[in-house]
Amino acid sequence: MDRRHVLQLGSAAALAGVAGLSPANAQETDVLRIGIAAGKPRHSDPNLTTQGSDNWATEQAYEQLVRPDDGVFAIKPDEYVPTLATRWTVSPDARTWTFTLRQGVQFHKDFGEMTSEDVVYSYRRAMKAGTNTTILENIAEIAANGPYEVTIRLKNPDALFLGTTAFNNNTSIVSKKAAEKMGEAFATDAVGTGPYELAKFDPNGAVIMKRNEKYWGQKAKIGTVECLYIADTTARTLALLSGKIDMMEAVRAPGWVQSMLARDKTLKMDMTAPGSFNTLHVNLTRPPFDNLKVRQALMHAIDRKAVAEALAPMGGVMACLQPPGFPAGFKTEELPAELRYPHDPKKAKALLAEAGFPNGVNFAALCSKREDYASTMLIVQEQLRASGFNMELKIGDHTAYHADNRSDKNTLAMHSSSYPPIPTQLYFQQLAKDSEVKADGKGGGNYSHYGVVMPGIDGLLSKALNATSFADYEKICRDIELQVLRDLPLIGLSTLSFTVARRANIDLGYEVKGGYARWRFHRATKKA
Amino acid sequence: MARYLFWRLIDAAPTVFLVLTLVFVAMRILPGDPALAALGDNALPEQLAAFREAMGLNLPLWKQYLNFLWSVVTVDFGRSLIQNRPVLDLIAYNLPFTIELTLVATLIGVVVGVPLGVLAATHRNRLPDSAVRLYSLIGYAIPDFYLGALLLIVFSLNLGWFPINGGGGLFWDRMYHIILPAMTLAFLKSSFMGKLTRTSLLEVLGRDYIRTARAKGAREPRVLYRHGLRNALLPLTTGLGISLLATLSGSVAVELVFNRPGMGALLISAISERDYAVIQAGVIVFALCVVAVNLAIDLAYIVVDPRVRVQA
Repeated sequence: MDRRHVLQLGSAAALAGVAGLSPANAQETDVLRIGIAAGKPRHSDPNLTTQGSDNWATEQAYEQLVRPDDGVFAIKPDEYVPTLATRWTVSPDARTWTFTLRQGVQFHKDFGEMTSEDVVYSYRRAMKAGTNTTILENIAEIAANGPYEVTIRLKNPDALFLGTTAFNNNTSIVSKKAAEKMGEAFATDAVGTGPYELAKFDPNGAVIMKRNEKYWGQKAKIGTVECLYIADTTARTLALLSGKIDMMEAVRAPGWVQSMLARDKTLKMDMTAPGSFNTLHVNLTRPPFDNLKVRQALMHAIDRKAVAEALAPMGGVMACLQPPGFPAGFKTEELPAELRYPHDPKKAKALLAEAGFPNGVNFAALCSKREDYASTMLIVQEQLRASGFNMELKIGDHTAYHADNRSDKNTLAMHSSSYPPIPTQLYFQQLAKDSEVKADGKGGGNYSHYGVVMPGIDGLLSKALNATSFADYEKICRDIELQVLRDLPLIGLSTLSFTVARRANIDLGYEVKGGYARWRFHRATKKA
Repeated sequence: MARYLFWRLIDAAPTVFLVLTLVFVAMRILPGDPALAALGDNALPEQLAAFREAMGLNLPLWKQYLNFLWSVVTVDFGRSLIQNRPVLDLIAYNLPFTIELTLVATLIGVVVGVPLGVLAATHRNRLPDSAVRLYSLIGYAIPDFYLGALLLIVFSLNLGWFPINGGGGLFWDRMYHIILPAMTLAFLKSSFMGKLTRTSLLEVLGRDYIRTARAKGAREPRVLYRHGLRNALLPLTTGLGISLLATLSGSVAVELVFNRPGMGALLISAISERDYAVIQAGVIVFALCVVAVNLAIDLAYIVVDPRVRVQA
């Protein structure tokens, strides 16, 4: 390559720019491009996805027996919509679930009609190996009753089976023939029944999907969906503003939405509520947090409303561990007065003095440098300081932070996780005795040691998991919420919506109100 | 020459071995659990244990180390813990992007920087000299990620002349995609080369043989290019090598801002995900690049300065 060559290249590029030969942009109305906040796709098999962003693609390609309506979570069992099953029945003891399958549903790539054989295969392979075998441990047996009916028998009752198990990534229905034929390659290929089918899985940064022309329901309106992996925030933002992509996964940090709207006020923000549950684990083995009065002081010191407002419009107030609108969720005014813990630095100081710390408390806490963690904990740090809690915040690498939490090295550990409206999932992962954190890193996510160093909610949790009706389940979960507010091993800090910024020429066809951090594009339309 | 090359490569072996060992140890000291990074912080203990078992992370350290050395010897770095792809595939895809970016940026840096340095040296303490020094100062001071974002906003977002991101597909498309990232890196390079050329040339221009050449009536261009610049090339060659290595390993921010594939972006994501296999292989590639560039620079000395001779 010589100087002349370089000059030629420069001239070619300049001419291309002048002539408008820019790379493909988002102006084609039959292609929808979303900028994914990750470097590369890992899997397209919904039983294997460990990177949340990969589920944008699996959401389009795969379906389950039942689903909630687009843009929401199903809060109660009767809110689920028939999908690959057209109807279902449950035994009075909530242990036997029978599903009648939709007939004539075709798998992608000519892998034939979906039958009970595929459903049984999909469930069994998820029970055997996958990212969520624990959730499926309650299944004792799944059997086909003819080509269009399956019966699932459970070890213990599960009144919320549709939410806990049937509507789950791992129980997406895959083609038995395709999975067996492809073997390991199935991990990055996909043969489902959804409105889009996989056209190309590029491990270096893209998943391309095209409309499933044999879809059993209403066919997708836009012909192609491209999930483009753009990890860097600046690059992703510029791609959206320039029109190279139509949507992008947002940065969940204070002020981000406002700054984007300031640049382009026509942008639309789609947000799930509640999104992530940001909780704060209080390590009960570390003095002075073994003292209830200190924990109560902590609650009064944290202004949870201010935390949510700082994250606005993505932030939401948590009066307890379940957000309002979810089963067992309380609004502040619905709680007994002594469990509301309004922000009150004076009361916090008085409680600290009562607990024997009139001069305040000094302690160190670890924090991840990820935007949502760091911004929330810096706000909490300032709030605590005003009440006599001097928290030295050690902000570090996100992976190391989680490893440290899992090794019981933190005192006040923030945790951010998304949950469906199944309260027992959070209780089991973050509060159950069986999930207690261990110093060797082999424990679970109960970083407070609740239920071990003091009686916890394990009895109630067991009752909830064995409830045979949704009403009983919800009532027990509400009792758990109240007990946690009395014992304070875990504090609900705020919720944080999953957000996608969308260009104004894209209409999703429905409003995103809730649900997991992914949604379907089959009803979307795009104007020029 | 062949003997010289052979012994230089043998000399490099202990360096590479040391790098291998350091990288292996560093990965194990680094806090963070690859299983947790791969499966997410909601993963259950049994899932984490199964992952560690499957990936050989439960083996004794000495066994992991031997496996690692064997993987290097057999040029099979195993599979990425996170992406479950052969590491060699990842490197084969990403390395060419980094090399082409380095070469194009260096080329632009030299083409712009050397003439600027000559201009500054021949107009010492006058306006062109001050302008070049100011240019160098700005080049050193402005962070590449900031300059990259600035160029993107002006030339891609507002003017629409260049692509917003990506590495491109076929040759011309790749060249089209490389212009802005290369310009970003070349700004610093041209500042460095300009400053280095100015300093080297000024030193040479003060030598006796330059005065002799002028006294013998040689014309100024001949004095400058034949006697001056040629003798200033030795430090410039060293500078070029340093600059090449700095770009090879330092293009991370530019790759991220422009969402380009490349070794920097690959390694950054591997480090955050504790993908040991990719990190180890990536560092080895960089170590080999260092060895290769140093060797190339040594050989370039022979071409630049006829007085330099190799001895095996």
